[in-house]
Amino acid sequence: MTHAHVDDLDRIELDEGFVWRPVRRHFDIRAFGVNAYTPSAAGSQIVEEHTEGQLGHEEIYLVLRGRARFTVDGDDHELGPGQLVFVRDPSLRRGAVTLDEDTVVLALGGKPGEAYEVSVWEAMFAAVPAMREERWDEAIRLHEEALAESPDEPALLYNLACMEARGGRHQDALLHLQRSIELDPRYKDYAAKDSDFAAIMSEPGFPGA
Amino acid sequence: MSGGYEILSLDELERYPGSSDDSPVLMPLRRRLGFRPFGLNCWTAQHAGGTIIQRHYERDGDEELYVVVRGRAAFTLGDEIFDAPAGTLVHAPPGTLREATAAEQGTIILAAGAKQGEAFDPAPWEDFAIAFSRARAGDVDAARDAIDGVLERHPGTWQGAYNAACFEALYGDRDTAFEHLRRATEVSRDEVAEFAASDDDFAGMRDDPRWQELFG
Repeated sequence: MTHAHVDDLDRIELDEGFVWRPVRRHFDIRAFGVNAYTPSAAGSQIVEEHTEGQLGHEEIYLVLRGRARFTVDGDDHELGPGQLVFVRDPSLRRGAVTLDEDTVVLALGGKPGEAYEVSVWEAMFAAVPAMREERWDEAIRLHEEALAESPDEPALLYNLACMEARGGRHQDALLHLQRSIELDPRYKDYAAKDSDFAAIMSEPGFPGA
Repeated sequence: MSGGYEILSLDELERYPGSSDDSPVLMPLRRRLGFRPFGLNCWTAQHAGGTIIQRHYERDGDEELYVVVRGRAAFTLGDEIFDAPAGTLVHAPPGTLREATAAEQGTIILAAGAKQGEAFDPAPWEDFAIAFSRARAGDVDAARDAIDGVLERHPGTWQGAYNAACFEALYGDRDTAFEHLRRATEVSRDEVAEFAASDDDFAGMRDDPRWQELFG
């Protein structure tokens, strides 16, 4: 598909109240990061509160339609169609709530001086509908596809382990959880308190068991 | 407002019309913001029905996404022709024919682009487009300074020398134009010959014996 209207893209509603409209993933763009966001209801979040400290991305948020109140580094700015905020400093906290129900925000970003790599959070967001409906095979497939491109990404391995534990693939879950902890030891503490692993916590090989 | 972020309206961007009444108007966004990860510009037309995205292919390998931010455009992509109201996203892989006209006055298209698997390095075409637009508006000296700067930053490309030749042919002297053309042919004679053969910028130079020496 070479063209689409932003209203016709998939709608992935996230718990934080915003709806991810996957632009990059829809077209399989590989040269830069681009996504759109719409609200789940008037007054809801439209850009998740976050920093880009981990990814090091410069980001632009452009209002295509409607109005949104952006909060960047503690400052509020109401923006309308054709207005944007460019967040140069990845460490700045940013987010936005919608002021109109039909607002659309386009987000563009990447890391200066480096070839673009697909961010692993996209696969995790894409798997949310399948997770909600407990379609574990599909959720696992979406994670495995991303893992083929980013095999040493601990967050992806950890999430995949969660899906496998819930889906009854206990040995795969243990292996992927162990690997995520090898790459980032913080996941050991997360796993100990994560109800997704209830079915495998007493298994030999579960970290700390 | 901290130095770590900036608020901007697209209406605040500078506008650089192309060479004819039908040429697109460049609204340089990446340069304005100092955005570094990939190429980013806005385009508008000089009038309803005017060209907003010039017919081209991106044969050098840029993958592009066009976003109709405001108004409505008539797009051609490959062999497909379609209506593109505000909110339309158009994905153009490298080598694909693309062009668009503004179906409404005030239409704005955002164009994002970069090569897959490579860190972004701004190409000199933006500098040339702005320099030529400034020269057309009468600021030839500033335009020449800008072109000299581009040649210093991007030495050894045929496109740089070729554009400098065009500039001198239009606004400078014929001897300097031939010197730039000669340098361009030393880098890529075939491509320069192909473009120069139909380039109106050189209309006054083709009866010069040096033209025959270069392309005869």
